[in-house]
Amino acid sequence: MTAITATAARARLRTATNLRQWVGLLYVLPAVALVTVFFVIPLGMTAWMSLHNWPLMGEHSFVGLDNYVAILRDTRFWNALKFTFYYTMIVTIAIFAVAFPLAIFIEKPRPLTNLYRTAFFMPAVVGFASASLLWSWLLNVDSGLFSPAAYDLGLTEKKVNLLATFQPAFWSIIAMVVWKVAGFTMIILMTGLQSIPQDLQEAAVIDGAGPFARFRAITLPLMRRTLALALILSVAGSILAFDQFYIILRGGPRNQTLTAVYWIFNQSFVSFKLGYGAALSMVLLVILVALSLVQLWLLRKPEGLD
Amino acid sequence: MRRNNVKTMLAKLALAAAVIGGGLQAASAETANIWVRADGSNFMPRIVDAFNKAHKDQIKLDIIPNAEIIPKYGAAAAGGTAPDALSLDLIYTPSFAAAGQLEDITDWAKSLPYFASLSPAHVKTGTYKDHIYGLPFSADASVLIWNKKLFKQAGLDPEKGPTNWAEIEADAEKVNALGGDIKGFYFSGNCGGCNIFTFTPLIWASGGDILSEDGSKATLDSPQLRGAIDLYRSMVKKGLVPEGAQTDTGSNFFAAFAGGKIGISPSGAFAIGALNTQYPDIDYGITFLPGKDGGWSSFAGGDNFVVTKGTKKIGVVKQFLDFAYSLEGQTILAKYGSLPVRNDIAKDALKDLDPRYQVAAEAMAKGKTPYSVVFNDLINSANGPWTQMVNEVFFGDDVDGAIKNAQDTMQSIIDQAPNK
Repeated sequence: MTAITATAARARLRTATNLRQWVGLLYVLPAVALVTVFFVIPLGMTAWMSLHNWPLMGEHSFVGLDNYVAILRDTRFWNALKFTFYYTMIVTIAIFAVAFPLAIFIEKPRPLTNLYRTAFFMPAVVGFASASLLWSWLLNVDSGLFSPAAYDLGLTEKKVNLLATFQPAFWSIIAMVVWKVAGFTMIILMTGLQSIPQDLQEAAVIDGAGPFARFRAITLPLMRRTLALALILSVAGSILAFDQFYIILRGGPRNQTLTAVYWIFNQSFVSFKLGYGAALSMVLLVILVALSLVQLWLLRKPEGLD
Repeated sequence: MRRNNVKTMLAKLALAAAVIGGGLQAASAETANIWVRADGSNFMPRIVDAFNKAHKDQIKLDIIPNAEIIPKYGAAAAGGTAPDALSLDLIYTPSFAAAGQLEDITDWAKSLPYFASLSPAHVKTGTYKDHIYGLPFSADASVLIWNKKLFKQAGLDPEKGPTNWAEIEADAEKVNALGGDIKGFYFSGNCGGCNIFTFTPLIWASGGDILSEDGSKATLDSPQLRGAIDLYRSMVKKGLVPEGAQTDTGSNFFAAFAGGKIGISPSGAFAIGALNTQYPDIDYGITFLPGKDGGWSSFAGGDNFVVTKGTKKIGVVKQFLDFAYSLEGQTILAKYGSLPVRNDIAKDALKDLDPRYQVAAEAMAKGKTPYSVVFNDLINSANGPWTQMVNEVFFGDDVDGAIKNAQDTMQSIIDQAPNK
């Protein structure tokens, strides 16, 4: 009697568990469908295309790993990748150098805080393409703002074409990206700052720690996860940079600002080699995943801390 | 009872559908879809309108931005929604034909009584492996334009344009000396397409070339190319060219001269129509792009008319092209910015138009067009070797290195091209 009841109960329990699992699956189904349609299938398609000679027009043919072998010899792609890393490094440092002080500045309530927050965050809601068009005009030597203004104020002898040589052109882009992105990073960092318990800071003050020591020993370690998030977003975004270089510089001056994505775009839609473009995308994907893993590992939770 | 109602209703619907369908069939005027790049947005709608008014079969025209027409067409072709025909920048005809995308129209083309008078540059690029895939539609030839008002102010003869390189530089210097915002010379220094159109004729007119006849060899390292580079460098160095030229990717190609503050600029026949209609105040002259010591050459550009492989509307398309080749069609084209492509009736088509067209028409007739299945990669691409080279040699410090680099890159692109 008892045995029967127990079995029945177990069976009922199993059905209940089963049912719960099925219901759970039902709940995540929309998300799974979205991921499948918009990520898994395109990714599989890209991988499949990368094994073909796939012109934009005409017949495609299977070529195995030929595209990947060609990538090894494609010096212009590796140069583009080198430039992309250089750009990512500089722009990430620049964004953090601006966003961190801003985050500290707006974290504490003070008069007009909301105004500052909004103002700093505003450029982040502009699309990258629109922002690039705006700056493309600002930087124009004849009809823009910076060069004519500097000339009219007597700062320069003649109108300087900021986009004509590498250094000014590159730093103009950095300035534009920092203007556009720092506000977003600032908000992420601010939430990190706000999650640090006030009593820790107060205890440190009582112990006689100065502001710098508090920043190094309390703020930074407790912001590990926030920093990791902001860093990964910034690095991934920068490695995929395209719009600003395409719209403002066209990869110039003299092809010195061709990024990896720009090169993929050129191969796919200027040279019409979709298969080769797909292979390049796969290579970039692998690099990006590897980089993100390294960052997560570097900023992992230290042992013993929860 | 209710079911019966439904049945009757369905029957009625089916009948209605049949009537509507039959009605459409009875009208039976076919409509062919044609695409054109934005460069043709002035003359194309006019000629399509004229055709539609006079014919039962109709043309539906779509105008596509210049930079998007190729990828868009490729995507449409892959998806089976390509237009029946398109007016295609003639330099792309070889690569489209090589991709197996175009209908072979050799027999029809050769049956045209005026086939021999069609623009040779177009027919040459429209021919791939001895078959004809494209026929001339619109034409544009590069020429040199000068501002007569500024020439007069500078004490030059306003009716006489420069006829060799030394005169270009001397005249530009005189105009530049007027000072203020006025500059002697303008070119788009970061635009491959603009410079193949207007800079290479200087080289051709002096006896050099940048590609071998069949497009299989890059031939950049020539004294003629050097000479032409020296001319531009010298003018840049003397400050005869506005600062913006160095980064102009082509957006100012026409606008700079139209602003009225530039003495001389290489341009195209299209500028005649554009200046006359949009900037009637500018008094300008048109002459040939000269060689170092005289002589002249021109880039014969424009569009070829190509038919998508397997289209069912080829009859309408042929009717339309017939119409475009008639005197009426050629006159409409000429009036709105394209040169005639039929040399036997070009004079008649241009008869009542601005006499400056005659210079451009002559330039077109003897113009030259480079042939390559990888033209886009070599020349037009904003990141291609030609674009990079022109910018480096006009404004940079290392002319030798830039030419060598471009020569090597161009040759490797040619060698790696599929189905050359």
